[in-house]
Amino acid sequence: MTESTPEDIGVLDFAVREHRSLWLDAWRRLISSNTARLGMFIVGVFILSAVLAHYFWKYDAKTDLDYSLKLKPPNLVATEKIKSIHPFGTDKLGRDIFRRTVHGGWNSLRVGIVAVGISLFVGGLLGLLAGFYESINITYLERIFLMGLTGLFLGSLSAWIAGQPIQALLFTGLGVISVLLSNFLAGKNTRLVLFAGIGLLLGAGPALLVGPLVAVVCGFLGIIVGAILSMPMGGRLFSNIVMRLMDIILSFPGYLLAIAIVAFLGPGLEKGMIAIGVVGIPVYARLARSAVLSVIQKEYILAAQSVGEAHGRIIFRYIFPNILSPIIVQTTMGLANAILSAAALGFLGLGAIPPEAEWGAMLGDSYRYLTSGAWWAVLYPGLAIMLSVLGFNLLGDGLRDALDPKLRI
Amino acid sequence: MEPLLKIKNLKTRFHTEDGIVNAVNGVSYSMDAGEILGVVGESGCGKSVHALSIMRLIPCPPGNIESGEVWLDDRDLLKISEAEMRHVRGAEIAMVFQDPMTSLNPVYTVGFQITEALMLHKNIDKLEARERARELLTLVGIPEAKKRLDNYPHQFSGGMRQRAMIAMALSCEPRLLIADEPTTALDVTIQAQIIDLVVRLQDQLGMAVMWITHNLGVVAELAHKINVMYAGYIIERGDTGDIYKRTRHPYTMGLLGSLPRLDEAPGTKLISIPGLPPDLVALPKGCPFYARCTYRVGQCLEEMPPLVEADGKEHTVACWRWDTLQGGLRDDG
Repeated sequence: MTESTPEDIGVLDFAVREHRSLWLDAWRRLISSNTARLGMFIVGVFILSAVLAHYFWKYDAKTDLDYSLKLKPPNLVATEKIKSIHPFGTDKLGRDIFRRTVHGGWNSLRVGIVAVGISLFVGGLLGLLAGFYESINITYLERIFLMGLTGLFLGSLSAWIAGQPIQALLFTGLGVISVLLSNFLAGKNTRLVLFAGIGLLLGAGPALLVGPLVAVVCGFLGIIVGAILSMPMGGRLFSNIVMRLMDIILSFPGYLLAIAIVAFLGPGLEKGMIAIGVVGIPVYARLARSAVLSVIQKEYILAAQSVGEAHGRIIFRYIFPNILSPIIVQTTMGLANAILSAAALGFLGLGAIPPEAEWGAMLGDSYRYLTSGAWWAVLYPGLAIMLSVLGFNLLGDGLRDALDPKLRI
Repeated sequence: MEPLLKIKNLKTRFHTEDGIVNAVNGVSYSMDAGEILGVVGESGCGKSVHALSIMRLIPCPPGNIESGEVWLDDRDLLKISEAEMRHVRGAEIAMVFQDPMTSLNPVYTVGFQITEALMLHKNIDKLEARERARELLTLVGIPEAKKRLDNYPHQFSGGMRQRAMIAMALSCEPRLLIADEPTTALDVTIQAQIIDLVVRLQDQLGMAVMWITHNLGVVAELAHKINVMYAGYIIERGDTGDIYKRTRHPYTMGLLGSLPRLDEAPGTKLISIPGLPPDLVALPKGCPFYARCTYRVGQCLEEMPPLVEADGKEHTVACWRWDTLQGGLRDDG
């Protein structure tokens, strides 16, 4: 038997363990799974067709109209009666369903990406900050920043009702002042009364220009905001305010809230994006916060602090990359959900404005003709919705398996 | 000589739902430059919390440093701003933690994390930092340091991760290294290697080391001085020889009695200290060790004994009956 020196073992150790990063590992696991590959394929086909159609196969929905081709069944060869080819048939206005389905994909994907982008950015950031400041000592500057943010956040509701954007800024200022004065006004009750009073003035004052009723509502809101701002700001208070707001949003049924927001903003694809995005915010906020709370207890965060890293760097360089996996999975699943929501809004006539091509709107346009035998007008957009949602869900499942920390070796 | 670190009456509390936890109750001592100090005690006796208080890394809320002073040179670390404190952390005082499995960030390479720490406090560019990181990894005994820089923590074994952690902590040449149970999660052979490593580095770099552990055997080998902590108090403090051979406090005697000895006859039973440490939420008025002490007298229940000198200036003990008690290991032990 030959003796091995520690150097040999070191070399062997290095040779066995191939050098690769966590993300590369995850990618390999992802492409080795059949479901994920199928999901990627479906999603890829939809994205590719939508992008290609948008840039190279221009379509103007407003001029697309041909009553002579009304509700023709799918045909793959041109005949004397129907000169053009319609692989998916035509709808009630004689429009080619294939073309509209492909272009609808562009709209649906756009809604999905923008809506999820809104939820992810706002929700993720709020959750990240809430989770971080809940468990870490905050510095004076951060206190000012958070309190200002809280003021802006809470004040914007009253500012919105009164139609006076300046109010939101005033409340932001109140939040900052609250921190600056925290050493001078120590008496808890004096502070509370003082800030509630200032809140009343800030809320009701600008709103009086609009009307007495608005002034009453805004004054009431102002008192509450002022009272909250008078509290000694700790990370926990900030986290509580954010998460309770998320609970309020979550307490509404998702579709109902989206419909209410669209009804308020007016129909249109962009408004639909905002509505679906807002409804999705709490999901990401909760997910991000819970992930932060579990990551922040790891010793490498303490180690980062003990070498003197600043809070901002700890958040974005140490915590953020470590909470990415659940967020990536949720985002992929969320895309499916957003596409479905967009279709639902479109179906109800609240999303895309006709004659714009959008899957939900196409369904809503054509379901009445199902009884007269025009199955193709409903089948293809429906199939597109189903397949794209399936594709994103399969991909999400695959990502979840690939990114599962328990599988990391 | 002016001491490196001077701690006066440090008190740390945690405000929890169950009440106020008195984790550190007025700890005072000083450390010289280049000194190795062992801090020993049972779990939950305030060893780690007092170290984190020095670094001001106690999560607040629920934790709070109620009072005290921590002097490093002419600065009170508890009074300076958070921004100044950030420069102290890493550059002047660095820390190594217990669990090497979670103390490195899994999403970055080891080299990245060391260069990151370097560039934070030193005005050097990336290439220099990388070269320095390689030197550091070699210094802590990692073979093929250059290749290892590009490895992720999961490609390192536990002992190697702890070495990498030490390299990271040493990166800015701190004057004090706080090692919070750095060998607890490692097996015995690796423990010995890490202890040798720290002793060697301490010798080479001349920094002071605070070694926190519950293992009396570990500190006996390496420490110059030892603080024995119990329920948030230092109950005995002195040179390593004094603590082990001229033990004055019944608790320290109990700890030593519970260690297995090579020179004892086979079959000798280990003596354990009966009972549990007191609840830190409701500390007794008198000595916290009263309930478990075999030498207790009435006064112990009434009043916490102050830390007084026994056997000269360097050996202090907090016990009313220190002058009647003497124990410890035999000289040949």
